[in-house]
Amino acid sequence: MNNLESKFDSIYKENYPKVFRLCQGYTNGNEILSKDLVQETFIKVWQNLKSFRNDSSISTWIYRITVNTCLIELRKKKTIPIKDHLNHLDDDNENRSEEKELQLNHLYRCIDKLKSENKSIILLELEGLPQKEIADITGLSHEVIRVRLHRIKNQLTKCVKQ
Amino acid sequence: MTEFKDLKSKWEQQPKVEIPSNGLEDIIKKINRLKHKQRIGNIVLLTTALILTVFFFYINAYSNALVTFALFLMIGSLLIRVFLEYLSIKKLNQLDVTSTTSTFTTNMALYYRGRIKIHYIITPVILLFYCIGFIILMPFFKSSLSDGFYTYIVVSSIVILLIMVFFIGKQIQKEMKILKQIKD
Repeated sequence: MNNLESKFDSIYKENYPKVFRLCQGYTNGNEILSKDLVQETFIKVWQNLKSFRNDSSISTWIYRITVNTCLIELRKKKTIPIKDHLNHLDDDNENRSEEKELQLNHLYRCIDKLKSENKSIILLELEGLPQKEIADITGLSHEVIRVRLHRIKNQLTKCVKQ
Repeated sequence: MTEFKDLKSKWEQQPKVEIPSNGLEDIIKKINRLKHKQRIGNIVLLTTALILTVFFFYINAYSNALVTFALFLMIGSLLIRVFLEYLSIKKLNQLDVTSTTSTFTTNMALYYRGRIKIHYIITPVILLFYCIGFIILMPFFKSSLSDGFYTYIVVSSIVILLIMVFFIGKQIQKEMKILKQIKD
């Protein structure tokens, strides 16, 4: 394994879970589609790794690629409605609380109702990113993010309550 | 915001994700496959152009100015359409995914607006040139082919044209929908 490959390998292992979770937010929790998107994201990470200049942290850089890849790839692919990919809940989740799963899927459904830019903002917030980093990823100002987040949080909690 | 904290904790409690053990190999394999596919695409394009040129000389088309003109219109319009599609795919792949989301979205919208322009302006002109070329060739077909074969060519070309219009229409619909989603 050469230098670039080993660097990529550690980036891959370190970032895979958060990239996957973010993609789940864009695909209504569809695991198969999310895995495809994760692979597309890392292909782009690999293709652009040489040009990474440390202008931002590697994590911000990867989040940018993830958000942009999910936006473009999901437009090319047909999104599977949530009811079509939840059948797996009945058989392979003995250890998981079914109620928790249902709540999470309700959350996915509410996230899916948001406009694409708001969806990206709230997913990054749910991942625990500071507002400044969300601003760096989206290209919006810190102030816009602050105001927008307040509104989206209200919208989301209202939807989940229903 | 206590309720949002609940949502956040639900989000954090998602089942742990397993990292594929052969992830790196899979990605490198897929990248190589993509490169291979691009190379095949280029070979197909070049071969098509070559076959058409050989065919042009083989049938001595250059001996009749009108036939030459008609064939140029047909072959040229097809080649331009294929070349435009090739450039479009290349441009889409070149969109900078490392830019901020708002820049990326703006560029993506620009790309799709360009696509719509191709569909609404350039494609109909190309189709028109193709049809003109075909219509010019019709008397030559009539004089050199049997009645049955001539009818077959006329009917099949109309069917092909209708199918092409149908698929282009579908593609326009799809890309308009994408553009609308980007604006939302």
